[in-house]
Amino acid sequence: MLTPLFFLKRSRVEVPTTQADQPPGSELALYVKGVNKTYPNGIVANRDVSISIMKGEVHAILGENGAGKTTLVKIISGCLKPDSGEIYIDGRRVEIDSPLKAVSLGIGMVHQHFTLIPSFTVAENIALSLPLTGRLSLDQVKERIRSVSEALNLKIDPDARIEQLPVGLRQRVEILRLLCQDVRILILDEPTSVLTPIEVEDLFKMIRELKSKGKSIIIITHKVREALTISDRVTIMRGGRVVKTLTTKETNESELASLVVEGFCPSLKIEHVRRGEPLLIVKDLRVKGDRGEVAVKGVSFVLHSGEILGVAGVAGNGQKELVEAITGLRKADSGTILVRNFDLTNRSPKTIIKNGIAYIPEDRMRRGVILTMSVSENLVLKNFEDPPYSKKMIMDKEAMERSASELITKFGIKASDPWISVNSLSGGNIQKLVVARELSNGASILVAEQPTGGLDVKASEGVHQKMMELKSKGVGILLVSADLDEILKLSDRILVIFEGRIVGEFSRDNCDMKKIARLMLGASA
Amino acid sequence: MELERKRSLALSKGTIRSLYKAGISIGFALLLTSVLFLLTGANPFLAFYYIFAGAFGNVSLAAETLVRTTPILLVSLGLAISFRCKVWNIGAEGQLYMGAMLGTITAVTLGNTPLTLIISLLVSIAGGLAWASVPAFMRAKLGINEVITTFLMNYVSIYLIQWLLAFPFRSPDTLFPESAQIPSSAVLPVLVPYTRLHLGVIIALFVALPLVHFLMMRTTFGYKLKAVGENPEAARYGGINVGRTMFMALIISGALAGLAGFVEVSGIQFRMRPSLSPGYGYTGIVVALLGQNNPVGVALASIFLAAIFNGSTTMSRALGQPQGVVDFIQGVLVIFVLASEYIIRYLERKGVLKV
Amino acid sequence: MIEMEWALIIGFIAAGIRTSAPLMLASLGETIVERGGILNLGIEGAMLISAFTGFMGAFLSGNLWIGLLMAILGGILTVITFGILVVRINLDQVVSGLAINLLAAGLCLYFFRLAFSQGAFPYLSELIGPYPIPLLSQIPVIGEVLFNQTIFVYVGIVSVPITYYLIFKTSYGLKLRSVGEDPLVASYLGIEVSKIRYTALILEGIFVGMAGGLLCLSMFNVFDTRIVAARGFVAVSIVILGRWNPVGAFAGSLLFGFTEALSLWIGTFLIGPESASISQLLSLLPYLVTLIALLIGGRRVRGPAALGSPFSKE
Repeated sequence: MLTPLFFLKRSRVEVPTTQADQPPGSELALYVKGVNKTYPNGIVANRDVSISIMKGEVHAILGENGAGKTTLVKIISGCLKPDSGEIYIDGRRVEIDSPLKAVSLGIGMVHQHFTLIPSFTVAENIALSLPLTGRLSLDQVKERIRSVSEALNLKIDPDARIEQLPVGLRQRVEILRLLCQDVRILILDEPTSVLTPIEVEDLFKMIRELKSKGKSIIIITHKVREALTISDRVTIMRGGRVVKTLTTKETNESELASLVVEGFCPSLKIEHVRRGEPLLIVKDLRVKGDRGEVAVKGVSFVLHSGEILGVAGVAGNGQKELVEAITGLRKADSGTILVRNFDLTNRSPKTIIKNGIAYIPEDRMRRGVILTMSVSENLVLKNFEDPPYSKKMIMDKEAMERSASELITKFGIKASDPWISVNSLSGGNIQKLVVARELSNGASILVAEQPTGGLDVKASEGVHQKMMELKSKGVGILLVSADLDEILKLSDRILVIFEGRIVGEFSRDNCDMKKIARLMLGASA
Repeated sequence: MELERKRSLALSKGTIRSLYKAGISIGFALLLTSVLFLLTGANPFLAFYYIFAGAFGNVSLAAETLVRTTPILLVSLGLAISFRCKVWNIGAEGQLYMGAMLGTITAVTLGNTPLTLIISLLVSIAGGLAWASVPAFMRAKLGINEVITTFLMNYVSIYLIQWLLAFPFRSPDTLFPESAQIPSSAVLPVLVPYTRLHLGVIIALFVALPLVHFLMMRTTFGYKLKAVGENPEAARYGGINVGRTMFMALIISGALAGLAGFVEVSGIQFRMRPSLSPGYGYTGIVVALLGQNNPVGVALASIFLAAIFNGSTTMSRALGQPQGVVDFIQGVLVIFVLASEYIIRYLERKGVLKV
Repeated sequence: MIEMEWALIIGFIAAGIRTSAPLMLASLGETIVERGGILNLGIEGAMLISAFTGFMGAFLSGNLWIGLLMAILGGILTVITFGILVVRINLDQVVSGLAINLLAAGLCLYFFRLAFSQGAFPYLSELIGPYPIPLLSQIPVIGEVLFNQTIFVYVGIVSVPITYYLIFKTSYGLKLRSVGEDPLVASYLGIEVSKIRYTALILEGIFVGMAGGLLCLSMFNVFDTRIVAARGFVAVSIVILGRWNPVGAFAGSLLFGFTEALSLWIGTFLIGPESASISQLLSLLPYLVTLIALLIGGRRVRGPAALGSPFSKE
């Protein structure tokens, strides 16, 4: 590890102003040289990564989850410190030790998780990142927002509260904020993962507009087609290394795909068995959200045994509330939830679990596990009151340990022993733990919320495989995901949810991606 | 086999860490107290010698220390349960008074019957439980911060009891506002002749302690306490009734505090007085934190603080120090219990300590 | 006859405002820190320490204003100690608050006994009395009620709009609120979370110092470890009931100040052998009213999103 680094530092000392792979007639905006980053848990995220970004260029960084893309841009934007490596802006060597420093150098990043305060207005959020002191004059801030947004043809109400804005607009606020800070290099981390196809088009339009104004845009994505559509050049990363940088016009989908995933092709066979009898019947369900607004406005559907029912929709359209009502974590105002004709509306989570509804929650760290408790304790979270784990209120640790060891082997959870606490596990293993628990207790219905979020391709395939297995055993699966690709891949039927209503239903045979996308945004089909 | 070994290893690792924490807290607190002694012109070694001698110097002093341990242990065992699920009951003082008051009223009303003691003890448990159920309800059903409510309830209970003792339940035969003497059948028998060591210590050490230990370590309720304390959101998702668990934790701690109150009346005071407790409800908080909510740790911490309680009186008399050293130690002890985790992590970073 | 009743009522209202002063000051201070995401339950202990340092300062120097200065210093010091626990070391805020309360009780009890031998009964020969504002205090009724008060009442009332302005109309206030909503995002945007929080804590220390100091310097002329009598916790309740808004805190303080004044006021009318014990019973009224108010107005309210949760950058 050490020797090549040492060698590197010695051999290339000249300050670069141009690069070998630089397109002719363009100016270098950002040059990153030989970045290495190893996380404290030993994972090597970046190995000798070099990349050059031109002025007025859209540069895609393409790679699967875990390829090191996010680590790289976090280093560029000052969120992470590299172990070694150099960064040059306009030919000058710079140290970027904080996001603030990055912004002052003209680099800004839009994270996957937005850095906006939901209860604040657009203007207040933007004011936060401007160097203001003393009296707060929001009017000045609004003026600035207006001038910046008009120049780019972006419509935004500076007085709107973030929590009332759809995701697409929130992203726009993030971008606007960076522009108000005079950022010249914008980094967008998986910007389309939370958007509907139509919002994506809006975003791309905005990106082209920014490009025409001379801004450089780095867009991180794992979708080959996206990189082809929007970028001028594309850099492929794999296993923490840069594989290649290509001019987009000179490449094609299959070349990129083969570079992104080496020697791995999805082996999952999707079988569509005939669906069985109805398992879960939801009738005219109405549920309130956190702020008392009606989030689910009369939803009805039937989930059959042996069926995967996908719920497609932009995040924040009532999916969360719908799932929480079904799993008993949120009170339904009206309507009924029937499981095998047994009324489970507003019953306790425990009753619902006992009636065979398993649930993989989106927020695993907060909801799915208790980090400070052991693996085996977490594995019995939903059935610790049942034999053999406890009898007459007395827990049986040996039974817990036996079943834990079994699940650890069966699901390939990397845990050195069943009694270590969960917070020593990696994110992927925590997800496996949750999946292991939810899939092993003989449930007949599985509610899966973003079940592959944050997992790499292989782990995702593993989860999908398990879901197919369950399906073939007659389990009904309600798949809620913002990832339309995942829904299209797995679902037998697709429901589209918009503003708390089911606005469309598609069977596998008549599913029309464009139509679904329009419905997700509330347009009529 | 391999797993068994690892498990015991992991367990002892946690225990070692807890011991380090307690050791660091006590060490720092005593160090600071020594500085205080030096500043006030007392020899710290002599001072600690007197504290130790005053607590364990002879059989009757040791017995007094155990007498002092009894209410502290009962209160802090309850608090350990409540703190385990992160329900911060700081109303043990009021719950103790309520239990003592209701127990006394019961004992006085019943008079001499074979069941007076048992019934009064049960009533005191119910009294503490009922008093704690108000903030427990507010916490579990309405989400109102229990720290505020339990503390305010202390004032309500103490003013109420002062009034009860000054007027409706005032004993006709004394000058002070206090209750009539409890009947002899309600008195906890003395264990060691010529001392005040009464049956209460057996109740605390050999009934309450093992019961609480079993409840916390071996039962599904113990699991629920831990799950709710560590991550209420995940506990609810797992089917645990979070509100009910918090409610139960708070009322059980109230029940034990109530019991402590009447044990104090029936073992030591024989009357209900407004000055029944010198702050056992608050000492219990220190003890539960120092014992890190582990029943055995709590028992050791109870004895430790009881010893300082008693020993510092002897020490004050011998060295002309002001009363209240115990309050000082108690105060700094809590801060160091909190900071000890940080200190350990600091020492680990420096490579001084390996846990 | 009517005039006498009138005077009694005016006297009662003036007393109500007077007893509100410590609550007003404490709850304004607590509003500021809670807006920044810190739940300071150690406010009770901070008030006790400042009452003690205030008393000692005034007793030893013979000057009440030196006492007040010492009270403020004591308040700042205690709140900063709390701040070190929760901001620097990142400990659980609730437990740290409890620890500060226990520490304060222990220190005050011990040092008070160290300073004065047993049986001694130290007291201040004078108190910070009302300071009638020239002209304004001459206005009938209003003058007596509002402008013939102690400096603490004036400071408390004037601080309401100032605090409101600070929280909602300054860029510091915006940063403070952002830290209270989401410290992680705030720190990402370059806001120095701990700096903002320490500033808020120092402000609270000043308020709490005055609130604690006035107990010894203006309300009672003696020190006792029970002198704060849960006023700190009542202040925290007021912040909840006032929805983290200085105006709400002001209204809440008046409600509880008046309840306290009422229980004292009724006591003065009682005659007969039981009067002492009944007025004793009345002294539980403010606590009961606080509990009932929480029961009605404190259910699942939405405060600053990050209130009470520890924050570390790592």
